[in-house]
Amino acid sequence: MWEFFSRSLDASTIFLVAALGELLGQRSGIINVGIEGVMLFGATLGFVTAQSTGSYVLGFLVGIAIGGLLGLLHGFFSITLGGDQVVSGMGIWILGFGLTTYIGSPFTGPLGLDRIPTILGLSPFFYVGIALAVIIWFVLAKTGLGLRIRSVGENPTVAEVSGINVAKTRYLCVITGGMLMGFAGAIYSLDYNPVWSYNFLMGWGFIALALVFFSMWNPIILLAGSLLFGTMWQLSLNPQLVLPGVLSRYIWRMIPFIITLGVLLLMSTKWFRSRWGAAKPEALGRPYLKD
Amino acid sequence: MKIGSRRLRLQKRSVLTSWQAASISMLAIIVALILFGFVFILAGINPLTAYKEIFSYAFANPFGLPLTISRFIFLLLCTYAFIIPYRAGLWNIGMTGQLYAGTLAAYAVLFILGLNEFDSTPISSLIVIPLMMAAAALGGAGLGSIAGFLKGKYNINEIVVTMMLNFMTFWFVSFMIKDGGPFMNPGGRGESFDLPTYLRAPLIADIPFTIFVALGVGLLIAFMFAKTKIGFEIRAYGQNPAAAEYAGISKLLIPLSVFIMGGALAGLAGYHYFAAVPGVYKIARNYGLFGDLAFYGIICGLIAQGNPLAAIPIALLFGGLSIGGRFVQGKLGMSFGVDFALLGVLMITLVAFQFFYRYTIVWKRTSKESIDVGVLQ
Repeated sequence: MWEFFSRSLDASTIFLVAALGELLGQRSGIINVGIEGVMLFGATLGFVTAQSTGSYVLGFLVGIAIGGLLGLLHGFFSITLGGDQVVSGMGIWILGFGLTTYIGSPFTGPLGLDRIPTILGLSPFFYVGIALAVIIWFVLAKTGLGLRIRSVGENPTVAEVSGINVAKTRYLCVITGGMLMGFAGAIYSLDYNPVWSYNFLMGWGFIALALVFFSMWNPIILLAGSLLFGTMWQLSLNPQLVLPGVLSRYIWRMIPFIITLGVLLLMSTKWFRSRWGAAKPEALGRPYLKD
Repeated sequence: MKIGSRRLRLQKRSVLTSWQAASISMLAIIVALILFGFVFILAGINPLTAYKEIFSYAFANPFGLPLTISRFIFLLLCTYAFIIPYRAGLWNIGMTGQLYAGTLAAYAVLFILGLNEFDSTPISSLIVIPLMMAAAALGGAGLGSIAGFLKGKYNINEIVVTMMLNFMTFWFVSFMIKDGGPFMNPGGRGESFDLPTYLRAPLIADIPFTIFVALGVGLLIAFMFAKTKIGFEIRAYGQNPAAAEYAGISKLLIPLSVFIMGGALAGLAGYHYFAAVPGVYKIARNYGLFGDLAFYGIICGLIAQGNPLAAIPIALLFGGLSIGGRFVQGKLGMSFGVDFALLGVLMITLVAFQFFYRYTIVWKRTSKESIDVGVLQ
């Protein structure tokens, strides 16, 4: 049971870190629907680096760096060029899916390094994830930087007039956000499940995206949502723990996605919508270009 | 940027003619192929040799060409599944799930008629094949309608919904064909039962007849957008949903109907791939690899700018590139996934080129010079 519990927390951490990256970008007004692609890149390049050099540290650094680069790319398309953010995000996802399939294929199989040691029986990244959630919550809610981020997400024109550099603030958020997504991917492939196979993420990034909507852009609610989804994901992999012999294992794999749809439906109720509308960054997804 | 007495500057396009759009799209493809050349260089292969191999296998080889055409039909149907919702401003990235749903529905027809048994009594293919195709279209449409309904009724983001449905259907296919699922091959190879030989889709000169379905659908879509009321309503909704609603266009029916149409076409793509392409004729164990190729449909649709007729040559080109890419991968000893890598590079290049659909680069005399001219006059 402890094994199940700690694995659930590991899974939650990955959802949490990736979704925090997305949340940060969205708070500044930039939506990135390509989380899955950024995670695939972080996971694959982190895996390849760690296996080639034998160093976990390098693996994580490369995962974070590629995430930051993809964040920069998304920022360039959506901030500097003022393009459609959904198109750019889709591009990053398909780029990630396509290129990592090619890059990772020769490395198919287990990582072959000693497992990362646990702290009090839990993965060290669990503590990192909690700390990140608290830090991001604190920065967004309590600091001047957070105020600037929120104001460019709400109304970039007013923010610009009041002396905030909109482009710079948004770049900061999407790059940091990309680094977090790449980090989440690396946690997956180096710690949670250190085996490379074709398109192994299978929806983690898209669930993280749904989680951000669900969290109403609040890192603390996001933390709770991640714990819920991490546990559920782990349960869908090990249904025998609760209901041995009921339903095929493949049907169980469908359940996290069904529940995500259920959550999205729940969010469309009037009660939720009014709160959601109030919390939603006003300028989310809208290009801002100075003429 | 200033060069001599002239300045390079960006200017917003007011109109984009179809010729301009076509040349930007072609330029995007060429740039993507040049960029992809680096993948070959990194693998120690001369890109020119690689492209020569790709194109000659895909378009001039008796083994490659039928594969290219089969892939083209598949991609074209997936492209249409993307284009119809795209014209309404909605993103259908659920072609994968919809084509699995269509495939399962088509095989369900065989299952219900008892044709999965080894010694079943044959039923005329003139009855069964149309039934399979209708079932495939209905299956895809059924899955698509979920996304359309949730978008229209509750305004739930269709990207997340279609993606969730993709993963759900992916695992559902596994359930059906593996571990003793109802459609499992009696040999227990983790794949579906075989399509009876006489129910294989008829071939015309080695090409499945579904090519006529795909091309016919293209004409129908072009007609729908140009001449019909629903086509007009879809375009109006795509340009401005709020204004369209004000003009009396249903906020529920448009998303629902575009996703039903798109889903039905993706379902037919599923029928095509798993029941009409020579050499497959069953739901293979690695069906995920086929399903994910449906994402090429997104790129074709974007490059064609939602134009169903422009999509035809693009789908043919990409069909050839993906078949040829898989071929050089084996021939030149590259690692798996050349066709997927190409997909990624094409997509990101296209995204970068989106900019040029909105802006143009113009040469202008610098303002100082034009003032001088004014003074002299």
